[in-house]
Amino acid sequence: MRLGEPTPIKAAINITPLVDVVLVLLIIFMVMAPQMRKGPDVNLPNTTKPNGQGDERGRILVSIDEARGLWINDQPVAAGHFDETLRAAVGAETNPRIVIRGDAKLNFREVREVMIAIEQQGFRGVGLIAKRTGAEGK
Amino acid sequence: MQFNNNDSGSRLQSEINITPLVDVVLVLLIIFMVVVPLLMEGYDVDIPRASADTSAQVAESQLILSIGSAACPILTPPAGEGIPKDCQVTLADQKIPAAELPARVASILGGRPAEQRALFLAVDDRLNYEGVLRIIDLAKSGVEDLKIEFVATD
Repeated sequence: MRLGEPTPIKAAINITPLVDVVLVLLIIFMVMAPQMRKGPDVNLPNTTKPNGQGDERGRILVSIDEARGLWINDQPVAAGHFDETLRAAVGAETNPRIVIRGDAKLNFREVREVMIAIEQQGFRGVGLIAKRTGAEGK
Repeated sequence: MQFNNNDSGSRLQSEINITPLVDVVLVLLIIFMVVVPLLMEGYDVDIPRASADTSAQVAESQLILSIGSAACPILTPPAGEGIPKDCQVTLADQKIPAAELPARVASILGGRPAEQRALFLAVDDRLNYEGVLRIIDLAKSGVEDLKIEFVATD
């Protein structure tokens, strides 16, 4: 081996910065993830065998919180503005999937009134979101 | 020659063993995926229509399940799993304990073609929402592809 030849050690790729970046990205995503969830924190009803309702991305989330406040996706909705806010959230979508996230403490009346308000905008069928008993999540 | 041997030996040791690192990253990724489920679960229901056309909709063959707040007093979120034992519901004008719902619904709707397997719910407004969902859950456990539709109550 001559002194001028490159040593084989230097030929290996130094992956440490790459792993650093990946780990930092992972931590950023772990911190951000709870905020990625759309809508307010709602204490969903517990049931034993809810059916799949798909990913919440691509759905229009109508949330009713414990204090009976209405939310559409991320935004709280003032009492008289539900209809136009819902129409704005649907936009040009022809077949929107709307789901209702209602708090477990609500009376059926509050949920039914929201369902009727959705129906009056011409949308048939909603998903009532529940939480599988024992499962984590909000 | 001896120098070369030493060199190749140190080259082997200089490679970073990334396997445990990848393990840790994958486990973190799995924890992250479990903690943040963006998938939702729930029940597809049809919305009660405006009360005007509801009475015309109720035909003979429709199976109506009425849940009243007197016979089934779930006014606050039910504790634990399931629904209280004293809850009685009215299915096709017959008062039955809620626990019998899966069997009754299955015996009535099981023989019908899939598109007619629908249960119409008349629910008292004062009932707790979680209780109502648990009764829907119970009814659905009898017939897998049961359609749920609400009818207006007064």
